[in-house]
Amino acid sequence: MANGWSLLIGFLFIVAFSAVSWFASPKGENQTVWRSTLILSAWSCYLMWAITFLAQWHPLISPEKIGLRPEHAERMKF
Amino acid sequence: MGPPQDTLFRSADMSLTQLYISNEIGREVVSALGELGVMDFRDLNSQVTAFQRTFTQEIRRLDNVERQLRYFHAQMEKAGIPMRSIYEFSNMMAAPTASEIDELADRSQSLENRISSLNESYETLKKREVELTEWRHVLREAGSFFDRARGQTEEIRNSLDDDDAPLLRDVEQHNGDAQGGDRSFSVMNIGFVAGVIPRERIAAFERILWRTLRGNLYMNQKEVPEPIINPETNEGVSKNVFIIFAHGKEIIAKIRKISESLGAELYSVDENSELRRDQIHEVNSRLNDLTNVLSNTKRTLDAELTAIGRSLAAWMVVIKKEKAVYQTLNKFSYDQARKTLIAEAWCPTNSLGLIKSTLQDVNDRAGLSVPTIVNQIKTSKTPPTYVKTNKFTLGFQTIIDAYGTAKYTEVNPGLPTIVTFPFLFAVMFGDFGHGIIMTLAACAMIYWEKPLSRGKLDELFSMAFFGRYIMLMMGIFSMYTGLIYCDMFSKEVPLFKSMWEWPDEINPNKTMVAHRVDGYVYPFGIDWRWHDTGNDLLFSNSYKMKLSIVMGWAHMTFSLCWSLVNARHFKSPIDIWGNFVPGMIFFQSIFGYLVFAIVYKWSVDWPARGQDPPGLLNMLIYMFLQPGHVEEKLYSGQAGLQIVLLLLAVSCVPILLFLKPFYLRHEHNKARALGYRGIGESTRVSALDDEDEEGNTLNGGRDSFADEEDGVALITQDIGEGDEEHEEFEFSEVMIHQVIHTIEFCLNCVSHTASYLRLWALSLAHQQLSIVLWDMTLNIAFGMSGALGVFAMVCLFYLWFLLTVFVLCVMEGTSAMLHSLRLHWVEAMSKHFMGDGVAFQPFSFKILLEEEPVE
Repeated sequence: MANGWSLLIGFLFIVAFSAVSWFASPKGENQTVWRSTLILSAWSCYLMWAITFLAQWHPLISPEKIGLRPEHAERMKF
Repeated sequence: MGPPQDTLFRSADMSLTQLYISNEIGREVVSALGELGVMDFRDLNSQVTAFQRTFTQEIRRLDNVERQLRYFHAQMEKAGIPMRSIYEFSNMMAAPTASEIDELADRSQSLENRISSLNESYETLKKREVELTEWRHVLREAGSFFDRARGQTEEIRNSLDDDDAPLLRDVEQHNGDAQGGDRSFSVMNIGFVAGVIPRERIAAFERILWRTLRGNLYMNQKEVPEPIINPETNEGVSKNVFIIFAHGKEIIAKIRKISESLGAELYSVDENSELRRDQIHEVNSRLNDLTNVLSNTKRTLDAELTAIGRSLAAWMVVIKKEKAVYQTLNKFSYDQARKTLIAEAWCPTNSLGLIKSTLQDVNDRAGLSVPTIVNQIKTSKTPPTYVKTNKFTLGFQTIIDAYGTAKYTEVNPGLPTIVTFPFLFAVMFGDFGHGIIMTLAACAMIYWEKPLSRGKLDELFSMAFFGRYIMLMMGIFSMYTGLIYCDMFSKEVPLFKSMWEWPDEINPNKTMVAHRVDGYVYPFGIDWRWHDTGNDLLFSNSYKMKLSIVMGWAHMTFSLCWSLVNARHFKSPIDIWGNFVPGMIFFQSIFGYLVFAIVYKWSVDWPARGQDPPGLLNMLIYMFLQPGHVEEKLYSGQAGLQIVLLLLAVSCVPILLFLKPFYLRHEHNKARALGYRGIGESTRVSALDDEDEEGNTLNGGRDSFADEEDGVALITQDIGEGDEEHEEFEFSEVMIHQVIHTIEFCLNCVSHTASYLRLWALSLAHQQLSIVLWDMTLNIAFGMSGALGVFAMVCLFYLWFLLTVFVLCVMEGTSAMLHSLRLHWVEAMSKHFMGDGVAFQPFSFKILLEEEPVE
């Protein structure tokens, strides 16, 4: 479902979002505030998401647990 | 097209304007401009003391009115009468005319007289009442004493005859034999003094009497049960009634003197019991009358004060505004010959149209034919920095202004701060549940904005209220980062299918290792299966540390780019080539490379390659210690690239160090070679664009010019006094400055990057604290069952919730906020912020009333 392409798709989505925010921001004296806030928020959130995604892309360690009970594992299967 | 619209990106364009205002409408003009609140008037009379200024008389008069209004307020507070709130007045903004002000002044004068006379008579009456009460006490006590003493005259006589007998023999002892009781004291030539004295003085009083009269007296005293209230101070004093008998007129006179000097009140008491009874009757009836009069006076006074209270707040506002108007008028210079006021003010260029139309309105209303002239003048003075804010941006701008006022038209860091400040906060505060609490609190404050802004708030809450929009952004971003961290009140948020699966056979006694679902990466945030595992910290520490470095790098690069924008805006290419470019190369070749290595290491599937991933920390250290030597390979050609980057970084240091100062020296020498000399003259400011001084003197007879000449003279005079403007070029100074800048920049690249690790530390602490809180409270309750379990659940839930709000949200939130503040002030703003501007302080009634609110 989610693999390396997600990063690129997310990137393109944020570019598109930024473009839309730039042009769709309400006119008037607060236009600059709208534009900067929307675009900067989008990029900050993307950066955070991308870093998290990257960190789990090729994980070096796996979760370990002592005292895992069978019913616990069942319930946690989601 | 006019000038571009003012935005938060830069401070507004300012113009220095000169106003020529006809003397008659000076007050109205300034008052209208005060309502507009866009002009920062310069003081043209700074060499004149406050007492010599033109409108000192008016200000004094208004001060007096203000004092009277405050007196009314104090009287109302004393009487406990409420003042009508300032928010209940509908048209506060209507500017009063001069005659209305006069009327108000007269009215408050007469009201003051009335109130103070009422007060005075009230106090006199009160004093009278006290005297009568005291007298009544004396009559009562003395009377009972006389009745008792009547029986013992004989013994007193005896003791007086016998020199050796003790003067005072206990009266009670001889209560039994009452003979010759009808003999009067006057027969024995014994006089007496009766009165009241404060209780704490009674001991001293007795001792003094005893010593001065050598024991030739007989004193009796009794405590007055209730304290007697002093009308002047409104405090109760406990007093004693005393009655002193002594022999002989002189001794009586002495006693009178002593008791008066000790603050006792003496009252006449008749020894005849019938007369005494009459006296008591009389005192009682007078007291009754007095009480009636007193309550009448009090009622009138209260009615008067209530009437004043209905409009007192409005009067206070009017007088405050009026005073501010005259204080501003005092900054103007007055042209005696033409009866014109000349003012100079900075104002946003965009507001000039509004100002002109307002002045036109005032002129029309006054029906004056002479228009108020608004001149824009050219100047080399630095205009003040004015960033127009609204209620949303105000809080963020205040964060920046608290650090320093931005230079005129430099990039305002307040704009990106709207996002970066709450976002960096959220990286440290990330928890979905805590984010929700914070967002709800902020929403509530925004929803009840109006009632809250009117009420009186305590210090901590008013700070939170001031930053309500910051809190809103912080809360929203915290919810986002909480989802990324997959934390909600320290519990996991399973949004998607996990990328980890536990093995099918589970042995509770052994460490179980999850295996990965092939080709699937958890799409949003951290996989929830990491929660409660044995090695989750191992994973999240590595992740959050790298996250902090990448975030810090992005934030600092972003901030550094603003210095490029600034250099372009101020048209100083040397700042681009001597500061920005070498600085950027230096930073990117070390820390940009580190970020690249982090991302590269993440994107390689090391187990599939069958390789051990290299440690990045060692890589960075050995890049400096042993250039060209790579212990664990990250990618091929690594050694070569690292040498190139290192050389790039090192070569940038001398450029950063020397390019700018030497370029400036070169420019300076070139200018000198062309014949320009150091500038000794004061800054030239002129309202005349096309006329030189000579032409001016030639046309001196023309009316319009005399005026302008006056204005010019004023400005130059003013500027000559103490403004720096043009400094002599001094190479050593520039060099030292650049050396400091270089050292600071290079060291800061390292220390600031490390400083961003606080993002990791704080977020780790926050997460661990919330886990501990959960385990210590609710988790215990989940372990119990039955009625006890229910009871424990309820109690522990409240405990958990309270601690979550106060410790995790308020305390942790404050600490994360302070760290985010520091990251902005130090790490980000040091990259581009010049901050040597002067704040724009407009003359505005709104600001005036905000600063000194009428409660």
